[in-house]
Amino acid sequence: MRLEGAHIAIGAESIITKVALWDRSFVLKTRPSKPYLIPAIDSSLRASRTSRECKGLNVARSLGVPTPAVHAIDLNDYSILMDYIPGTPLKQVASTLGSTTLGNLCYRFGRIIAKLHRGGMVHGDPTTSNLLITSNEKTWIIDFGLSEMNATVEMKGVDLHLIKRALETSHWDMQENMLSRTIEGYVDELGKEAEPVLERMDAIRERGRYH
Amino acid sequence: MTICLGLEGTAHSFGAGIVSSEGLVLSNVWDMLRPDEGGIHPREASQHHAYLGPLLIRQSIDDAGISPKQIDIIAFSQGPGLGPCLRTTATMARSLSLHLGVPLIGVNHCVAHIEIGSLESGFNDPVTIYVSGGNSQVIAFAGGRYRTFGETLDIAIGNMLDVFGRHVGMRFPAGPKVEKLAKMGSTYHTLPYSVKGMDISYSGMLTSARRLFDEGLPLDDICYSIQETAFGMLAEVAERAIAHTKKNEVLLTGGVARNNRLTEILQGVADRHGARFHRVSPPLAGDQGAMIAWTGILQYGVGDTLEISSSGVLPKWRTDEQDIGWKE
Repeated sequence: MRLEGAHIAIGAESIITKVALWDRSFVLKTRPSKPYLIPAIDSSLRASRTSRECKGLNVARSLGVPTPAVHAIDLNDYSILMDYIPGTPLKQVASTLGSTTLGNLCYRFGRIIAKLHRGGMVHGDPTTSNLLITSNEKTWIIDFGLSEMNATVEMKGVDLHLIKRALETSHWDMQENMLSRTIEGYVDELGKEAEPVLERMDAIRERGRYH
Repeated sequence: MTICLGLEGTAHSFGAGIVSSEGLVLSNVWDMLRPDEGGIHPREASQHHAYLGPLLIRQSIDDAGISPKQIDIIAFSQGPGLGPCLRTTATMARSLSLHLGVPLIGVNHCVAHIEIGSLESGFNDPVTIYVSGGNSQVIAFAGGRYRTFGETLDIAIGNMLDVFGRHVGMRFPAGPKVEKLAKMGSTYHTLPYSVKGMDISYSGMLTSARRLFDEGLPLDDICYSIQETAFGMLAEVAERAIAHTKKNEVLLTGGVARNNRLTEILQGVADRHGARFHRVSPPLAGDQGAMIAWTGILQYGVGDTLEISSSGVLPKWRTDEQDIGWKE
């Protein structure tokens, strides 16, 4: 899609542009080519991530999880046009919040992940950069390029393991409170179904050779 | 000037290295156990270390051209690693510390890889890609510690190459042979590409690659496909870590750092983000004593020494459990 706008983020695998159309703001997410990969891998990744992202955003919405609506997709240049959410990533605001507010947001993060898991999907990259908080304290989840359907206990366990790792590396001084409130939200939403996933999360961590 | 003797023995290699507080590597000798068949057995590796350790320590002192009395500190790899190997190495370090009457320092193996790489490259604050037979990690400094941003969820990249190599009749270590054959391959066969957040998984890829071989596909094409897939995954998680931490130095280390194609790919990642790139030279990238000695000197500078009574080995010592008092 050829749309003019300002780059608002350049991530590891995408360029996010904010564009104005029909008197509203939208996000154009494009996955550029990576010259260091062979073309066969590069194009298959760009195609599969773009398609997974669209599907993930829509399935998550159908499960009652707030995500930006997808308006258009272009598989020639691997771009997606979606709603612009005027929020801030939890990663950026976490250290400015009181522990109760932060805990409550983490609790909601846990419930969101649980709703996805109950619907048979995993997010694939559940970091605090991908949870947006809007001014009315509503939580949105974005970045579904690594999401997968038909999730097994193993895949869900990996999702929780990734949350734990993200808290360790980005919120080391608050990780205990943040993790326990996230898990609390996850368990409250899923009930008994949460148990095997939590056990798997611990097993995955132990599985690496040394830790 | 302070002189430190470092002993490394976390897995299949034993090494002794001597480094000065000025950052000069005075000597660095090691030997790697190469089993005739199969993988590394922890007990056999520890016997290898017990047998060759004293000879290598003597050689490191001779090579450095010093007398044992000039050694000011003894450092050893306290973990993480294989228990029997760690204990054998620790016993040698304790004996030397007591005999020479000098302080004992316990060094984290992963931290040592980063510190010797930083010494060689002159980097202050890199994103480190540490790839070897036992490790595949992306590590960066944050909040006073080195933290693992991503790692393998199942087997390490070097182990994956070795297991594949064994399946197709290559001798240990298989990495260099896979690299050689991959250069002659040209047809890419799709293999499972598995990135989860900043973590990666190689077991599905390994199974598929073995199947391709059993189906009779040309080995050079399979090796080419393995390298492109496995290194592409590493590049992606490295890129995620760079984008996340906004650091502008990329350091490649560990035994698998020798691979030229991996180096080329990671150089490409660094270029894309305007970051400087350095591949640690082979003598300092593998497991060896100089990295332990240099990190020992850094720890000694901040008073991080051990009493013999509390110098037990730490087989599961996590990278982020070591205080990094020498960095601001």
